Amino acid sequence: MWALENLAGGAVLLGLVMYAVFGGADFGGGIWTALASGPRAAEQRESLFHAIGPVWETNHVWLIFVVVTLFTCFPKGFGALFTVLLVPLVIALIGINFRGAAFAFRHFGGQTGRHIPFMAEVFTISSILTPFAMGVAVTASVTGRIVLVDGQAKAEPWFWLSPFTLLGGVIGMGICAYLAPIYMTVRTDGELQGDFRVRGIIAGLALGILTAVEIPVAMMEVPLFAGRLLAHPVVYVVVLAAIFGIATQILLWKLRFFCAQICAAGTVSLTLAGFVAAIYPDFLVGQLTLAGAAAPHVTLIAYFAILAVGTINLVPSLLLLYRTFGGESDAELS
Amino acid sequence: MSPVVAARALMGISLGFHIIYSTIGIGLPLLLMIAEWRSLKTGDELYHELARRWIRTAGVLFAIGAVSGTILSFELGFLWPRFMVFSGPIIGLAFSMEGFAFFIEAIFLALYIYGAQKLSRWVQFFCTIPITVASAASGVIVISANAWMNTPAGFTIANGILVDVHPLQAFANPAWAHEAVHGTLAAYVATGFAIAGVSASALLRGRDREANKLALTLSLAVASVCLPLMLISGDWAATTLAVQQKPKLAAMEALFTTTRGAPLVIAGWPDPASGKVLYGIEIPRMLSFLAHRDLDAIVEGLDAFPPGNSPDPRIVHPFFDLMVGSSFIMIGAAAWFWWLRWRCREVPQGKWLLRTLLFASPFGMIALESGWLVTEFGRQPWIAQGHMRVADGVTTQTGIGLVLFIFLIVYLALTAGLLWLLLRPPSAGTGMETKQEVPHVGT
Repeated sequence: MWALENLAGGAVLLGLVMYAVFGGADFGGGIWTALASGPRAAEQRESLFHAIGPVWETNHVWLIFVVVTLFTCFPKGFGALFTVLLVPLVIALIGINFRGAAFAFRHFGGQTGRHIPFMAEVFTISSILTPFAMGVAVTASVTGRIVLVDGQAKAEPWFWLSPFTLLGGVIGMGICAYLAPIYMTVRTDGELQGDFRVRGIIAGLALGILTAVEIPVAMMEVPLFAGRLLAHPVVYVVVLAAIFGIATQILLWKLRFFCAQICAAGTVSLTLAGFVAAIYPDFLVGQLTLAGAAAPHVTLIAYFAILAVGTINLVPSLLLLYRTFGGESDAELS
Repeated sequence: MSPVVAARALMGISLGFHIIYSTIGIGLPLLLMIAEWRSLKTGDELYHELARRWIRTAGVLFAIGAVSGTILSFELGFLWPRFMVFSGPIIGLAFSMEGFAFFIEAIFLALYIYGAQKLSRWVQFFCTIPITVASAASGVIVISANAWMNTPAGFTIANGILVDVHPLQAFANPAWAHEAVHGTLAAYVATGFAIAGVSASALLRGRDREANKLALTLSLAVASVCLPLMLISGDWAATTLAVQQKPKLAAMEALFTTTRGAPLVIAGWPDPASGKVLYGIEIPRMLSFLAHRDLDAIVEGLDAFPPGNSPDPRIVHPFFDLMVGSSFIMIGAAAWFWWLRWRCREVPQGKWLLRTLLFASPFGMIALESGWLVTEFGRQPWIAQGHMRVADGVTTQTGIGLVLFIFLIVYLALTAGLLWLLLRPPSAGTGMETKQEVPHVGT
């Protein structure tokens, strides 16, 4: 359990959770920019745009953290995944680029969404596309259809397209679309806050249904993974994720926005934790174990030393960032 | 197109693109820090205004740098998975450290850019310190990975398996120190000259004289301090190469045959068929002196290495000359500026000087890009010198040519967007610019 490769797997999970919980919400901001509706649609877009501004780059670094941790600690697994998942990863990457660039151009172009419809379009489309492609890639990695022949990863050309992975893509979008409005309830007030509350509740319902449907699909399509997901002790994580999800809905209903925000982040973290725990003890389900994919122990020890020193520097800086921009971040641009 | 060619082209284009943004991402924070410091120290608001004016550029370029850096980290996986399986446990550690430096940079840049109205001026200045330090550190750290490809160290391979990894030895591999120093200085020079060019261009059009005079002085001061250090570190790099990376040095200097008292060849076209450099200017025995501090020293030529194991001088030597030539163009332009500055006791604004500075302004970046090409082309055919060939590191996946084509479009779109953004005047009322443009009367 406490073997170095398992701890390194934990570091990957930590990076994924941080990326989903923070970076995911930024993509969700883009999704709700596209879905903004009602009499305050423009205000919804503006407030989302301003909330994303100061934090998205920092949040984005978690993705780099995940990729780097993968190739440092699990080079064999990384090599295999990035060989066979070329297409969805390229799509995600294009989305990441256009999202970031469109946001920066809009922002530093000195004009907001209304004035540059083209940049706004690019921003929203790529905010939808990226989490979808990532969801597809992440779920495709557990299908067990990636085989290793003499250390070389092989898979059917379109193996990453199936009901399970497509639903995984939609869940990726769902996670982002779920977090953004709930976080926004803390950053807005009045009718706008009400708008985000309703959107958060709707997205919560949708995400709950999607993840619930994914379980039988997984049982049909990827039985090995599904078996682990529903076996002791991973199943408790799944149940806990569901409990957190329901609690978030209740908190939103009761207007307890601060708690709802934390609870929603917990829901997403537990969902991902359950997913990753069901891969254990493998890296590639049924093909390559964590230990088999892992780098030499010296590397893992050095990695954890870097992680420790890095965390000591990172945590206070992150707290300063979110403390400074956690509240009404509209102030600087108005 | 063969997968290796497509993968190399894509990696090369991505890095060439990323280098521009990361260079400015290293250089600009230093200028911001100095400007904010001077502003607090002298009470001259113009310095602070100058810094706030650079923010738009810094913000956009940093964002593009962040996403283009992500492209690179993905490409390591989908273009070079076999290389990463081999080297990930070693150079991955450098990337892990760089990741944390990148976090610090992103966080404090956000605080600095967006916190203008929430943070005091002193806190704003303090924010520029971690940005400057972290951006320089991220460059220094990631260069360790590149240096490792040139001089792999800190591991043993037994039966095709990586054993006996020494992370510190690998990190501080032989080529790291000179590459890191030379590369970081190059970033300051390139940014200094880029900003000097922008200021010179504005002065030529008579725009905003006071601010641009200040910007010109500040950026050229940084560049001019670094330029002589560039030459010294370049010499250090050359003498180190003469011991550690002999094939690269031979290709850089287009030395085909091992020679005692080897000449330095400036310019010219290396012709492998005849083993001669056509149209080159020869300085007798100079290469032996530069490489070994001895006019009669033996310098190994390309013939000293087995065929197929050394780089093609036709793509190394010209870029090396371009790099060295660029630095002399910049030294000339900077020297002229400081000479007039000293003579007139005023920031000189002669048309021809400003035009010269404008002409010299891209050469910092040109030098940096060519230096990078020299180190990469000069390592061929190896991806990790002596251990793995480029062709053995590439992906087994098909369709890389198509991926190359797609990313060409992505880069064209990003470049077009950037040019569109940076070349048009900033619009008012964004809160991102200086409060109110103070009308400056031309002097």
